Amino acid sequence: MELFSPISGTIMPMLAAGKVDEMTQKFGLSFPKFLAQVLIFVAVYAILKKFAFGPILAMLEQRRQRIADGEAKLDKIAKDLADAELNAKAVLDKANEDATRLIKEAGDSAKTLTEKRQQEAIHEASQILAKAREASTLEHEQLMSQLKREFGRMVTEATSRVTGKVLNSDDQSRINQETSAQVSL
Amino acid sequence: MEILSALSQTSPVLANVSSKASELFHGSSVLEFLTNSVLVALCVLGIVLWFSRKATKNMTLIPHKAQNFFEFIIEFLYDRVVGIVGEKQAKLAFPLLGTLFIYILVSNWFGLIPGVGTIGVGDAVGPFMVGEVHEPLLRPPTADLNATLALSISAFLVWFYLTIKELGFMGFLSHTFGAKGGLKGIMGIVVAIVFLFVGVIEVVSMILRPMTLSVRLYGNIFAGESVLHTLGGLLDKAGFPWSFIGGVLFPFPFYFMELLVGLLQAIVFTLLCSVYIQLSTTHDEHHEEEGHH
Repeated sequence: MELFSPISGTIMPMLAAGKVDEMTQKFGLSFPKFLAQVLIFVAVYAILKKFAFGPILAMLEQRRQRIADGEAKLDKIAKDLADAELNAKAVLDKANEDATRLIKEAGDSAKTLTEKRQQEAIHEASQILAKAREASTLEHEQLMSQLKREFGRMVTEATSRVTGKVLNSDDQSRINQETSAQVSL
Repeated sequence: MEILSALSQTSPVLANVSSKASELFHGSSVLEFLTNSVLVALCVLGIVLWFSRKATKNMTLIPHKAQNFFEFIIEFLYDRVVGIVGEKQAKLAFPLLGTLFIYILVSNWFGLIPGVGTIGVGDAVGPFMVGEVHEPLLRPPTADLNATLALSISAFLVWFYLTIKELGFMGFLSHTFGAKGGLKGIMGIVVAIVFLFVGVIEVVSMILRPMTLSVRLYGNIFAGESVLHTLGGLLDKAGFPWSFIGGVLFPFPFYFMELLVGLLQAIVFTLLCSVYIQLSTTHDEHHEEEGHH
């Protein structure tokens, strides 16, 4: 009991000497006033719990949930965006690859076509040249033949004038042949 | 020179502020409870009701001004309470702790409104003028020991309820008197005796908590009232206009101090209650371990 002497030594003399009554009087402590204050505090508690803490904590929770949902959606959107970017990159890569292939194919095709057209042109040109040569040869031969005939006629005419003799058709033919033979030499 | 003369007439005696609340209806046993502090407590109740209705009416996700202000206060308080007592206990204890904070803060600051403590009944010195107010019409509830005791005992009862709900009665006894450390043998017995003694001291401290909480709050607010009254009445004997000038100028800086004291006392009371709840609802380590096994 000695251990409790600091407590009992303070409280007991106060109780014995009626200090509690004195304190009660001094500070106006009374049960009705105390109860009135308790009731008012309980009323404040009830009002705040019903009109303030309940709705506001619910609103804060709702807002927190909304923010969390928003963040989750944001993460999902970011993930979708990353996926979409990957897809777009893949599509672009494939398109680039296809385009490169098509350009190469077009290039090859154009080269082939060019070569083909070139060959055709060369062939056509060769044909034109051959025809031209042939025509030229033909024309040359015709001219030569005409020249020979003309020359034969002139020789016949000259012979006729020089000799004063009218040449028959056999003579003329013979002179022409000889002249032609001489000219072709 | 006039100023010096007026200052020479200052009265350094502490103002005679009554240490108890005055009854508004003397001689009525039915309305004995209706004191000037009860009247202010009712005003505080009205203010809280009006503002909480205003703040939570037509609530929207994008808050309006009153809602925003109230949300700020409640979120700030809730975060502090969660930080001390934890998420689980905060859900149960927050309505009490939040009410304590708001009620004490509004009550403390209500006492700083001009007229509170200075308008009332006294010896008449002129029309509507008294020399010294013996029975003020209004008195902050936190300057009445009945009110501070009401707050602290309410908090004590809720604390006890939460503790028993969390630990159970035997758990509470074990938590208070049980030996910690897991020692066995002779040392275990010695430690058990020591913890039994510590438990007795702990019980005494628990019983004294409502008293310490209420007296601390009452003392601080009553002292603030006394300081403001004393400073406000320093030049009362110098006559008009010095009494008026002194009544405005001298207490003025102390109003800021009292604003701070009012806030601090509300915080101290609330945080101490939070800490008491946290201390008594925390499970001992060996209980946790046993629980896991």
